[in-house]
Amino acid sequence: MPRITVNNLHKDFRIYDRPQDRLWEILLRKSRHKIYHVLSDISFAVPDGKSLGIIGVNGAGKSTLLKLLVGTLQPTSGDIEIQGQVAALLELGAGFHPEFTGRRNIYLNASLLGVPDENIAELENDIIEFSELDYFIDRPVKTYSSGMFVRLAFSIATMVRPDILVIDEALSVGDMAFQRKCVERMNQFRAEQKTMVFCSHSMFHIQELCDTAIWIDKGKIREIGDSDKVVGHYEDFCNSKKSYNSIREDIPEELEEQKKDSSDDSEPAVQDCRINSLSVKDSDGNLIDELEPLTSVTMEMEVEVLKDGIEGNFGFAFMKSSEEPHASFLTTEIDSVEKGPFHKGDIFTVSLTVHHFAMRVGEYYVLGGLADKSGLLWYETKFSKQLSIKPNKGVGPIIMDSDWSVTRKQV
Amino acid sequence: MFVTLLREWVSTPATHYRLFHNFTRQDFFAQFTASIGGFLWLFMTPIVNIIIYSFVFGYIFQIRAVEGFGETQFVIFMMIGYLPWFAFAEAVSKSTGLLVEKAPLITKVMFPVQVLPVVGTVIPYLTHGIGFGVLLLYLATQGLLSAAWLLLPIVLFFQFLFTMGLVAVLSALCVFLRDIQQMVALGVTVWFFLTPIIYPITMIQDEATRQWFLLNPMHSFVTLYREIVLLGEISPINLQIIIPVSLFSYFFGGWLFMRIRHAFGDVL
Repeated sequence: MPRITVNNLHKDFRIYDRPQDRLWEILLRKSRHKIYHVLSDISFAVPDGKSLGIIGVNGAGKSTLLKLLVGTLQPTSGDIEIQGQVAALLELGAGFHPEFTGRRNIYLNASLLGVPDENIAELENDIIEFSELDYFIDRPVKTYSSGMFVRLAFSIATMVRPDILVIDEALSVGDMAFQRKCVERMNQFRAEQKTMVFCSHSMFHIQELCDTAIWIDKGKIREIGDSDKVVGHYEDFCNSKKSYNSIREDIPEELEEQKKDSSDDSEPAVQDCRINSLSVKDSDGNLIDELEPLTSVTMEMEVEVLKDGIEGNFGFAFMKSSEEPHASFLTTEIDSVEKGPFHKGDIFTVSLTVHHFAMRVGEYYVLGGLADKSGLLWYETKFSKQLSIKPNKGVGPIIMDSDWSVTRKQV
Repeated sequence: MFVTLLREWVSTPATHYRLFHNFTRQDFFAQFTASIGGFLWLFMTPIVNIIIYSFVFGYIFQIRAVEGFGETQFVIFMMIGYLPWFAFAEAVSKSTGLLVEKAPLITKVMFPVQVLPVVGTVIPYLTHGIGFGVLLLYLATQGLLSAAWLLLPIVLFFQFLFTMGLVAVLSALCVFLRDIQQMVALGVTVWFFLTPIIYPITMIQDEATRQWFLLNPMHSFVTLYREIVLLGEISPINLQIIIPVSLFSYFFGGWLFMRIRHAFGDVL
């Protein structure tokens, strides 16, 4: 049974040049607005117990869609059916009163979410504990840091046990430890077969938490499907856009005008290159997804150039998440490596061997790609499957290649 | 449709009692939680105003006893009208900010928005009802208590309904037209001087002019309080005015608010 069904949803905003136009329109019954289509023809369904991620660039209409789902905006046409109680975290701590203590705010906030008072009293301690606010819970909310604010808001919204949880960009504010806790809580939600709708710019979280994803572009569904797949395509799109923007600075102004016009046709920008494959191998050449520390590891990728005249550097990195590199390797300073200009159709096989892999614990993704001349912007990147490090003895994040020497002093 | 909206409007404090209760508590205490003077500040404005008006009218203009109200002092006469007026004026003045200030909440959280005008009306009445209560208590000990006083809660209740309807309309319209904020601030001042609060209506010599005051429902409310408290008897004309006017204001205001509340999200 679908928890959320959305059919042919359209949302228009009326744009008035001046605020008084709105009044004249009501009085004179003559149209004085322009229509701006925020969302058009959106249809999807979220089955019970599934979670949906919404991705898209800024201004694509993600937040409007969430507001429509929650009910604070009314659709222009089309319908939304929702089964069950919804708790929304569209703005962190909307409705918090800055002068009141966190504890006081729990009550109003929870009753806004539709929880009876007796239940709030029961939940109060859980909420305070989860938010880790300790004695700050009895301090006015205005004294809170933004992280504390979010923690309290998130704790309340998830503690009231809604059937459907709608979250907009909530995780990006808290510190890492709290983010992890939130992800745990949300996974617990999924395990309890609750439904979630989640909008974020962190592709990592979307992949981690969502079964399906919708990519919204200029108010329309560009792609809907398995979250890994959609996120992959979206990242490709963003990366190609990034390089396009950075190159644009070198173009004379008239050309830029033309570019702007053509970009409105919603055709994808011409890609500069493509990473055809990326693999991680051990010293014997076997593909691996697990790694013994202090051994050698070879990363290999095939890069195909799709445009003439590109100059750039090859690079690899060990990434902790999609945004957090732990070690990086670029050919910027390596004179023996070709740097272009390349020709359309050139295919390179790039391989890099790291000796004595020094990270002792954790899981990494290998990123391979082609960056621009400065090495600051990626034309194109690709992530490997997760690479985990085999358990080993010791403490600390790093292991170093070392030799011992212990000699006893001869008496 | 019409009936459903009205039913929802009328039953709001009951169906959403928890929310209503928590909102009222929060907004009531929010009035003074950040200041040291706290609760006292709420009463400073009416008290200082009363002192000013007594000085100007009682001392400078030498209005002593008011015609038709026996030996009553001018200060008492004025206070009986001024305190209920102040609750009304406060509710109406603040109504324009009710929804606009809560914009983040209205656009981000789904909740019955109609509790806001209800809470916005309850709070000034709760606050300044205390002042009026103290005054009545004092007058009761002065031997003015009579059976007619039983009418007081009823008249106050109608004034409350009248206010609530007005608050609902103004708060909703202000979402679309912010200018109402300034217009209301001015309007309340004008309304104050057009209502015989700091002057007895008997000071207006012309009988025809006096009839015009019947168009002002606040005049009827103020007169009723004075008649009940000071004379122990009422002129039915005022009661005949306030009952239909209050009910109309309450139902029409509620209906209008419920009718356009879905558009708030788009505009705020």
